[in-house]
Amino acid sequence: MATETLPNSDTDPRARGSARQAILLVILVGLGLIVFAGDSVRNAGEELDDGPVKTMVLAVGHPAGWVADTLPFAPIADEVTGWISSDEDLGTAGGGFNAPAGTGGETGAATARIPPEAFGSERAPLRSLLVTGDSMSQPLDAVLARRTAGTGVSTRRDAKVGTGISKTGVVDWGRLATTQIAERPADAVVVFLGANEGFPMPIGGRDVECCSPAWVAEYATRTRAVIEAYRRGGAKRIYWLTLPAPREAALAKITGVVNDAIRVAASGFGAPVQIVDAAELFSPGFRYRDALQVGGRGRLVRDPDGIHLNERGAEVLADRLLVRLRRDFVLEG
Amino acid sequence: MLFPTVEFAIFFSLVLPLSWALMPRPHAWKPVLLAVSYAFYAAADWKFCLLLGGITVGNQIAARAIERVGGGETLAGRAICAGAVVGDLAVLGVFKYYSFFVDEINGTLAGAGLGLPLPLATIALPIGVSFFTFQAISYVVDVKRGTLAPAPLIDVGLYLSFFPHLVAGPIVRAREFLPQLEKPRDPAKVAVGAGVVLIAVGLIKKVAIADVLAREVVDPVFAVPEAYASADVLLALYGYSAQAYCDFSGYTDIAIGLALLLGVVFPQNFDRPYHARTVGEFWRRWHMTLSRFVRDFVFIPLGGSRGGRWRTMRNLVIAFTIVGLWHGAAWGFVLFGLAHGLYMAVESQLRGRWPRFPTWARWLVTYHFLVLAFVLFRAPDLDVARTLVGQLAQSGPATLWAPLPVLLTLAVVGSHLLPPRPLDALRERVEAASVAVLAPAMVVIILLVAATIPSQGVPPFIYFAF
Repeated sequence: MATETLPNSDTDPRARGSARQAILLVILVGLGLIVFAGDSVRNAGEELDDGPVKTMVLAVGHPAGWVADTLPFAPIADEVTGWISSDEDLGTAGGGFNAPAGTGGETGAATARIPPEAFGSERAPLRSLLVTGDSMSQPLDAVLARRTAGTGVSTRRDAKVGTGISKTGVVDWGRLATTQIAERPADAVVVFLGANEGFPMPIGGRDVECCSPAWVAEYATRTRAVIEAYRRGGAKRIYWLTLPAPREAALAKITGVVNDAIRVAASGFGAPVQIVDAAELFSPGFRYRDALQVGGRGRLVRDPDGIHLNERGAEVLADRLLVRLRRDFVLEG
Repeated sequence: MLFPTVEFAIFFSLVLPLSWALMPRPHAWKPVLLAVSYAFYAAADWKFCLLLGGITVGNQIAARAIERVGGGETLAGRAICAGAVVGDLAVLGVFKYYSFFVDEINGTLAGAGLGLPLPLATIALPIGVSFFTFQAISYVVDVKRGTLAPAPLIDVGLYLSFFPHLVAGPIVRAREFLPQLEKPRDPAKVAVGAGVVLIAVGLIKKVAIADVLAREVVDPVFAVPEAYASADVLLALYGYSAQAYCDFSGYTDIAIGLALLLGVVFPQNFDRPYHARTVGEFWRRWHMTLSRFVRDFVFIPLGGSRGGRWRTMRNLVIAFTIVGLWHGAAWGFVLFGLAHGLYMAVESQLRGRWPRFPTWARWLVTYHFLVLAFVLFRAPDLDVARTLVGQLAQSGPATLWAPLPVLLTLAVVGSHLLPPRPLDALRERVEAASVAVLAPAMVVIILLVAATIPSQGVPPFIYFAF
């Protein structure tokens, strides 16, 4: 039997070290990272979905975080490397979900219901549009931006992939909404958010698990706080999209209550805050389906992951949104 | 579980000492590494493990059967091998291409007023399916050709599932991997320095270059080309050539580095591809493990370059259209492969005349062909690709020309044009450094690279989608 002998560690000239050195190196690198960034390990673990991976990361993350909190090196590392961070600084923005009571935290306590404003019957020109959310907002944001190109609309796309209303460790949507609209005011905001939900949320000093009525109420309250942040920033219309049913039953349960919370949160504002029912459009009766009738024939509208919309699905949804935008605003062309 | 994540770092920190502790006892090491690799895969979706297991068992049955009927030269051996390959391709076809083809067939039939005979449905794409099915084919075909004896089932299972190459390659041939399982790896011969340098370089390429270029330039332009004029579109095109290289070669650098620390050697997958002066040379430097797979299992069986000018051209077009389709189920990928095949077909006929042009001219033409062909690869659909190319003629302000993306693009492409010797010498010096130097250097690199990661985390590697 002719077996081609190819490079392996017995003959590899680079194999000058030993397994002991490899293990020692990994241990030293690990220790270094715990000292300088152990808190990041803990934070990363807290953002993971429940399961064995989260358990593994938190088993390391809790002691690593403690070490980093105790020693003075993690803040130094943050200070030294902060200049290359690509994130917006949300630190001073108000409206955070977990801020102390009276400063926007305990969301419901500081967020009073704002009555709908009267904008008059004359439609204003749409100059600026913000399309935001988690991964659900992609590729909808790009399709909308392409469809509004040449209509005098400046469309800003700001997808925060992997984030959610019920998880604040990575992005606190209360703060983010305030920052987004303050940095670049928008006449209209499209929000498609909710694929990464179901995380426990602190209410009255204890974590409440999904999907109890208390959890849904807190989710609705946070959603309303985000809506109010956009409104305070001057958005004339906010279009909040419900989520199509996902393929997996466990996810569908969370998505269902998220949609319930969105509907409650967006009610009572009148015309300025509108629900765009993507759930009903793509999953009538909240039953998952891959395809829709588009242009007189069945077309696939969902991604193979059973959660997101594909390019064609995003086009269908963008068309629906454009009808609303043209009804509420004047678009050139 | 992406490589540049906390969860993978912890996972690998546990696996490495466990692997070396069990290495002297292959009967314990192999099942544990197999379990660990399946656990790694299950982190994406445990159901995909059933598919991986099924592919493993199916191809092992075929390999044993080929041996039992007297080898691959017998009619029965050939039939069994063909059956196994068809089975592997059927798995790939169902999971990767079903939705695409059924949607297209539906469109064609609807145009003719006919109904669709197949259900219009999407199917979850198992990560890495294109890689492990090709590796399974390589195993059973090598057995059929007599270049490899059937290995024990556990070895085949480990070959197909070994976590460093499981989800995005490189496509390691069975005859490269299986002999390394025949006896325990020598704990006194581990390429520690080379492994660590590859992991560090891979992290930098992926997180600090590819993802930055994607965020700053490439993604905005490819999402809404209408919003950008020629200068920005050009920067995005050049930027994407750098991003695609850093993303994919970054992944394989990390994969090869991790394997080295575990004592396993993978083949090289990239060799300064933008140094190429012909597209044929590019494919000998880019995703080399895919290129040689297609050469050995498609191009040569079709007749290679033995059948005269037209057959050679035909075989090149077929082989590279398959390369395009391998990348994904979309017309953009098909046309990307077709464009490469046609270009190489023409190139093959100019073999005598092409070298007469100056080196810089050959490089310039080749690089710009690659950059333009990448439009088909990256654009979400053909309409966007067409719009993007059209925007090249659109005058307007350059809004994306910041120093960072320009410098990163120049540095990546420029590094391929430098003579390799000084860079290789520098790398070898770093590889030879002691653990006392490498460990703190690695900590600093990880901290700096991690600081560039946006709060949402690291985007998936481009080749995860394939």
